[in-house]
Amino acid sequence: MDLREFRAGLDGWLDEHGPELEPRHGPDVTLDEEMAHLAKVKRLTYDAGWMRWGWPERVGGFGGSTLMRAYLGEALASRDLIEPGVYSMTEVLAPTMIEFARPELAAEMVPRLLRGDETWCQGFSEPSTGSNLASLACRARRAGDEWRVDGQKVWTSLAQFAERCVLLTRTGTPESGGKGITALFVDMDTPGITVRPIRAMHGRDEFCEVFFDDVRVPLDRTLGEVDGGWAVAMDLLPYERSTSLWHRGAYLRQRLARLLGSAPEGALDPAELGAVVQQVFAFQARSRATQHRMARGERLGPETSIDKVMVATTEQAVYDLVAGAVPADIALGDDADGDRWRTEFLYSRAATIYGGSAEVQRNIIARRLLDLGAER
Amino acid sequence: MDDETADLLARSFERVFEGGSAADAEKALDEVGWREALEAEGAAVPPLLFARQGAANAASGALDDVLAAALAVPAGPGTAVVLPEFGRHAAPGSVRNGALTVRGLGTVRMAAADAAVVVAEEDGVLRAFTVDTGRLRIRRVKGVDPRLGLAAVDGDVSPAGPGSDVDWSGALAAGRSALAYELIGASRTMLRLAREHALTRVQFGRPIASFQAVRHRLAESLYAIECADAAAGAAVEEAGRALPAGIAKALAGRNARTVARHCQQVLAGVGFTEEHEFHHCLRRVLALDGLLGDARTLTRELGEELLRTRRMPAVPPL
Repeated sequence: MDLREFRAGLDGWLDEHGPELEPRHGPDVTLDEEMAHLAKVKRLTYDAGWMRWGWPERVGGFGGSTLMRAYLGEALASRDLIEPGVYSMTEVLAPTMIEFARPELAAEMVPRLLRGDETWCQGFSEPSTGSNLASLACRARRAGDEWRVDGQKVWTSLAQFAERCVLLTRTGTPESGGKGITALFVDMDTPGITVRPIRAMHGRDEFCEVFFDDVRVPLDRTLGEVDGGWAVAMDLLPYERSTSLWHRGAYLRQRLARLLGSAPEGALDPAELGAVVQQVFAFQARSRATQHRMARGERLGPETSIDKVMVATTEQAVYDLVAGAVPADIALGDDADGDRWRTEFLYSRAATIYGGSAEVQRNIIARRLLDLGAER
Repeated sequence: MDDETADLLARSFERVFEGGSAADAEKALDEVGWREALEAEGAAVPPLLFARQGAANAASGALDDVLAAALAVPAGPGTAVVLPEFGRHAAPGSVRNGALTVRGLGTVRMAAADAAVVVAEEDGVLRAFTVDTGRLRIRRVKGVDPRLGLAAVDGDVSPAGPGSDVDWSGALAAGRSALAYELIGASRTMLRLAREHALTRVQFGRPIASFQAVRHRLAESLYAIECADAAAGAAVEEAGRALPAGIAKALAGRNARTVARHCQQVLAGVGFTEEHEFHHCLRRVLALDGLLGDARTLTRELGEELLRTRRMPAVPPL
């Protein structure tokens, strides 16, 4: 199967099955309903085969170019069938498992994620560990043939729905920085784990605090090397800045198309509109080039920080345009449209904060791409 | 074009701007077979040359060749193409009652050329006329960027023939795409200068490159350049479509000013002197932005067009 065949086949399938995949929108739609809908989309696309292309056969995929995965998310986002933020977590978590888990574990678990049977989360940030990831403190001690985990995570997306967690723990001394971190694959129903959702300003409780109290994790759930968790995190981050960004681009474009189609006469300033469309075009062009590099097997690295700055800048530019064009919808709208624009506008404020802040991305660009040496 | 051919071409183009003067560059373009490459390989060739021309702060008539090729008129070292007036993109000529009125600009080639190609509108149809440069008033413009060697061109002539029908929007697309790369080249030079300065200039006992405020300005500059570069790359892939090239030119023009602002701030006092190379780049950016439609015009017109159609423009498919 090549991309052209895949595109044609998927487009035809979505023409037929689109209606049953359509989500509801509106203030009464709960996050539970959204998650159930996403699971349904994943299951149906998996059962029809589309979700399996672009993933290795050893984890239940059909093989072939990763561009097919990029196109699947694009097609679903363009047709407004998914919200890519949650959908695209697969693009970060599955590659991590494929690369770092025992082959049998990856073969057992990854299909569950692809098929929507399970939700996974990513336990990275901690109350004292935001941008400075290497300072994390959540402790894992070796005790016989298992790890014992104590500590706390925060900003863990969808932990309350998650069956598994890719967890970064401190296994070295507290001062060991990036050298004393180990990644674990943890079952979220293990005794000792407590999840407390955090209601965010956009009205969704998709982020959580997760507490670990003497949680037992089998040794064979170690991802990568003991004390080699930094490599796992660094490997995963470029994924967070590639395919999921392509999906996000398709979604932003679709929302902008919606604004363009529905904004009242005189609501959009041509110069502002032109500038935002140019920005979206550049972002999609960049993201597309990144997808092709990934599909060719190139190793993605710090240059994806440019992509990350682009997605954040573009997303905020799109919703700033929205806020200027339909201010009453944002401020007062209690119908489905108004609620959605407001929720998305508010969520877009975080685009320069999550997944490595705008400042951290610029630090990476300065250090790694411009080779400016160390700061201070 | 395969990677190997692109590599070979890029290496041969490196020679073009070594001499320094526009006359040297014009001669070198002939020697390295630039026009032949353009004819054989098409839209993938101009980026290789124009990025270098911009980076080297050099001038040549390469834009005339790109436009001539897109207009399907014979190109050559003695043929210049009249550009629209500064900032604008309407065809520079009009034919009324058999008389051709010309008002526009020329590249550095114009003053030395024998023939000028004028695209002119008559009853809504665009045609290209070839005019003897001796019959036009051609005045060298110094302006903000004397090194660019622009010329102001005007005149009223009677065209020798009926002219050939041309695809003006296709020519604009090809020219804008080339100019986008030239602006990106100039931007990369500004960033290089600012980066080198930041690494060597010591204040408070350390290189200023170690201060986050400075680092972030340079990061912002690279980001702005990469945005423009991404759009320009897509414009080349979609060569012939007017819209991507317009987007690329607008982004390259606007972002080059952003880069200039950050880099000049990092260069601080020395960047404000005439001894330092920086001002040549800033001048170049201001001048190039005005060729074939400036960023402000292209951006507003894009918005107006979208508001007419109420549809998002297509992007290159995956």
